Amino acid sequence: MPETPLTDDHATLTDPIAARHYFDAFARITGHLARVAAELEAEGTLVRLEARLLAAHAGRLAASFRALSLKYLMTGRVEGPLPGAPAFDRVDSGFPVAQELMTLAIDAAQAEASLRAMPPAAELKDRMVRQILNDLTVPGRLQFALSQRLYHEALVAGGLFLPRNDPEAQWVEDTGERRRFLVHWAVYDTQANLPLVYLMDLEDSGATALPADPERWPQAQAHLVAQSLGGLKLLTIAGGFDADVPDLHPKRLRRITLGPMHSHRFTLQSGPIAEVLRAADAPEAEDWALVWTIEDLTSAREEAAGRAGWFGRETVRQIWTLDPLAGAETGATAMQRMMILPERVAQVLAEMARPGLAPYRKFVVGAGGRLVATR
Amino acid sequence: MADFETQIRDSQAQVAEAQAKIAAVTQTIDTARQRLDAGESAIDIETATLEDVHKHTDLMNANIAELIMGLDDVTAGFSRDFDEMRNKTGWESVVGWFSDAKSESMRQERLRGASIDDKLQDLIAKSDTIVRLLQGQLDMLNAQKARVETNLTATLSEREETVAALEAVRREVAAMDPAIIDLENRIGVEQDAAARTRLESELAELNRRYNALVQDEQVKLAKSQTLERYIEKGKTWVDSLQNQAATQMVLINKLQTDTKQRVVLYDALTSSLKTAQQQDVAHRINEIGVRTDQEAQTAMAAIGAATNDRMADMMEAHEGQMVFARDILEQKARADERFMRRFAAIVEKHDKNDYGA
Repeated sequence: MPETPLTDDHATLTDPIAARHYFDAFARITGHLARVAAELEAEGTLVRLEARLLAAHAGRLAASFRALSLKYLMTGRVEGPLPGAPAFDRVDSGFPVAQELMTLAIDAAQAEASLRAMPPAAELKDRMVRQILNDLTVPGRLQFALSQRLYHEALVAGGLFLPRNDPEAQWVEDTGERRRFLVHWAVYDTQANLPLVYLMDLEDSGATALPADPERWPQAQAHLVAQSLGGLKLLTIAGGFDADVPDLHPKRLRRITLGPMHSHRFTLQSGPIAEVLRAADAPEAEDWALVWTIEDLTSAREEAAGRAGWFGRETVRQIWTLDPLAGAETGATAMQRMMILPERVAQVLAEMARPGLAPYRKFVVGAGGRLVATR
Repeated sequence: MADFETQIRDSQAQVAEAQAKIAAVTQTIDTARQRLDAGESAIDIETATLEDVHKHTDLMNANIAELIMGLDDVTAGFSRDFDEMRNKTGWESVVGWFSDAKSESMRQERLRGASIDDKLQDLIAKSDTIVRLLQGQLDMLNAQKARVETNLTATLSEREETVAALEAVRREVAAMDPAIIDLENRIGVEQDAAARTRLESELAELNRRYNALVQDEQVKLAKSQTLERYIEKGKTWVDSLQNQAATQMVLINKLQTDTKQRVVLYDALTSSLKTAQQQDVAHRINEIGVRTDQEAQTAMAAIGAATNDRMADMMEAHEGQMVFARDILEQKARADERFMRRFAAIVEKHDKNDYGA
């Protein structure tokens, strides 16, 4: 039996009201992510295609959390270990733990079969009415059955953020002998319990276009997914990919970490943001701040790296630009942190003027969901 | 040890059988209740049947406990994977005779491509299957318990009524005694034949009533005893169902805690194996192409920044650890303790690897 304190930071929401509020908070926050992507596009940080892809990943994340909220709708309301209770990472990320998403992926794989075995929603409601009128009892079991049905329907509807969202390649342009692609994929990091979106600009000098190449594309996909750990620096990921996959030249790799989510009510992070939230003492709808990080690694130049074997072709290797100060530590060219937060919290933040929070780009959500980018 | 699929199928069959037996006992109790309503007094819930059910559910639970312990053996596959990541393959060792660097870079490449995602998913899915099995059994036990309990409540109030009626009859019988003695005395001293005949017929009437009441008392007494026996059986059954439900809860709890810990542990191990690569290879390779002076400058500046960051990280991590460590360890200890208490025999057998001996 593993005797480890590794799940210490997982907290379980057994209280039905708390669980619903938690998912409500997420529904609100993920709604703003797409707007931030649009804002970044407007100011030129992302091009249109990248902003669209990022917004799509944020949308999938929202769909997954919506499905989870349905799964746990009856938490604490029916007896027994099912429906269970949502577990989330309380100390680091504020997001649900990765196992929730793994279970969701397993459920999604057999959702259609499960759905066929369940009575339709109308019948369940009819039975609820009967139980209420005939037995004068609360139809908890039936409500649970209906919540599971809705959960599986959400799974069948698709568009979910799974623990692993395989790489897809988008053709950008042809430049002489090479083709440029934007490869994007996303994983839910199992160590930090945070969603990570990767964007890679790469040039392809192979004979067959990458997505149509049955030899290199599956290998490249598997390689990228196996290396998508939050603990690995971009330099390690890009360098390994450059060395292992022939005829592909990664030019730029970006990793967007969506999170952590801070909330005075739910999470136990320490540091300046937690202090700001405590001081703000905001009502539930405004008690949150979502930090996200864009790590960026660009290639400085290419160098010849000799022949592959005695009779192989000439290979080239990328030399990456590293941040002169923090580069060795971050393994990236640049790192930008951003924060989305509601008006009230932003006001307290401005008043407290914590030096540690100064470098963060702030996006303030105003009335009616308006987004104001501030320094 | 049989493979997981076979074991799951075995357990499913056993759960089905156990459920059929449990349902049958509840059915017997229900039927007995209907017979009671119909006025029959024969009740045939044999103690033997209950014992049979107990024996069977014990067998089933042992099997499921073994299944849970057996997940340990399933997870042995993980350690093989980890060993493969850590060590060199045969071919890599052969290459190592000629070039250490080439052999190491081959291992690194293999490690970069390795993934245990599918195994983790498999572990979660298997544990989920067992939880569903247990949950089904638990739901059934709770439903049966509810049914028998409603039944018992009705019977208890009926018995109360019966006892009250019995008491009333007894009081009435007791109250008749003085009247009868009084009549007998009066008959003894009565001289007038006509009056005496009247008194005697009165006495006869009273005696007839007395006998009827005594007979009624017997019937009521018998009914009360039958009900009492029924209630006793019902209570035993409810206790047994309750106990079985507790066992299911212990099994589910143990399984869920273990799976949670395992997934996190294996994942952490893979991560740390993979993160090791950035210490030794990747960085050195990149630095070859970068000018030396720039490198030195970078390293000097980085030392200061990194130290600060590390300190901050360490302090944050430490705080979180302190808050939760105690809580979770206690939870885990409780789950383990409950499991050990109930399945000491199986754990011992598993540890000695003593199956079918």
